[in-house]
Amino acid sequence: MLQQRADRPAERSPIVVVESLVKRFGSFAALSDVNLSVAKGEKIVLCGPSGSGKSTLIRCINHIERHDSGRIVVDGVELTDRMADINSVRCEVGMVFQSFNLFPHLSVVENCMLAPMKVRGLSRSEAHDRAIGLLRKVRIHDQANKYPAQLSGGQQQRVAIARALCMQPKIMLFDEPTSALDPEMVKEVLETMVELALEGMTMVCVTHEMGFAREVADRVLFMDRGTIVEEGDPDAFFRAPRTERARSFLNQIIH
Amino acid sequence: MNSLDFSIIQQAWPYLWSGLLFSLALTVAAFLIGMILGTCFALVQHFEIPIVSQIVRAYIALIRSIPLILVLFWFFFLVPIVLGHLSANGRPIPIGATYTAFITFGLFEAAYYSEIIRVGLRAVNKGQFEACQALALSTYDTYRSVILPQVIRVASPIILSQTIILFQDTSLVYVLSLTDLVGAASKLAQLNGRLVEMYLAVALVYLVISSVTSQCVASLRKRYAFTGAHR
Repeated sequence: MLQQRADRPAERSPIVVVESLVKRFGSFAALSDVNLSVAKGEKIVLCGPSGSGKSTLIRCINHIERHDSGRIVVDGVELTDRMADINSVRCEVGMVFQSFNLFPHLSVVENCMLAPMKVRGLSRSEAHDRAIGLLRKVRIHDQANKYPAQLSGGQQQRVAIARALCMQPKIMLFDEPTSALDPEMVKEVLETMVELALEGMTMVCVTHEMGFAREVADRVLFMDRGTIVEEGDPDAFFRAPRTERARSFLNQIIH
Repeated sequence: MNSLDFSIIQQAWPYLWSGLLFSLALTVAAFLIGMILGTCFALVQHFEIPIVSQIVRAYIALIRSIPLILVLFWFFFLVPIVLGHLSANGRPIPIGATYTAFITFGLFEAAYYSEIIRVGLRAVNKGQFEACQALALSTYDTYRSVILPQVIRVASPIILSQTIILFQDTSLVYVLSLTDLVGAASKLAQLNGRLVEMYLAVALVYLVISSVTSQCVASLRKRYAFTGAHR
């Protein structure tokens, strides 16, 4: 693990570049002048108090939130208001939500097949094979024909991960994927995310799971009031945060 | 007229049957026209398309404040005159009672279905739209494959009760001298003086059709339910 980190991914070519990003909600500045570069294969954990802009930041990367100024470049495509750019970025960026957001009227396997068929143009059988393969990977293929409401929260979130992976994205965004789960289900979702990380997926995760951050993150970014206040190696960050704001935040989440 | 004599129903059945078929055909047609048009109306308002959405809102407000029977009259008498003015020679162009009934019921029901769908659209969780965006689904695919199927399922009990009301309202076509089930029964009743038997039989037919439909939809809903702890 340490050897893997020694091979600093940050020195490889960046796949996501965020420059001087500003996002306002009315008069409230959710993000003010955020800069971020994510290298191919890099795993980044974003943490910070609620309202600090961490979710807004990753939601800007796939244009679920429209940014007000600054630049976002994903895999060489700059995010503008052109639908073609937005869609080509969204095809490469998978997202997992806090509240799963599975489609309740479709079975598990149909949830995974929809976008590959409609967006990537896969045939039904190709999409089905791919979906079953990825459901197997998240160890939930035996529930493929059930409906989301019949599954536990942890299972639903693993389906959501498989659904995003079915688009074969280059980057995965996780927006507090374990916050809505009962404690005993957090582990199964984190294990799935660790496996994904070990396979070399580029990941940006908003999470407060420190164990996960320690195990897989290359960098931890700490955000507060719309800016990145501190960043660093997870061990160093959690052991000895440099800024006062990060210190008081960590004191609050460790009790 | 001393005791009830239901043998009269048996003789009258073929005529009643043709009336019933007309009622059902009108219901199905008005349901299809109303649902398709109503969904379009709801989407126009949902997307807040300028001008068009204001026109649609005004149309729905107007239709919902007028009794169906008046709309039928107006359509039957006024539309031929309007069409006449639009045509070259200026003479009224009759469109006939049957067409009037199908078009009017369709347009009328569209206003009601539209309100049901519009409320259903608002009830869909914001996360569903975000999930579709994140998967790069087009707006068309988002609504066609994800949003509208959920709206229809959630709204199906209200859509059904509106459709049962529609089925009962089809009896208003008597003002256009069309013969539906009620019309057929009342014509025969006046001929043979067996009003009570006729109207009892007709009421029974309405009761059976309406309750069987309700039951079918209830069991369908049970089978395809996705309720429960979904988020």
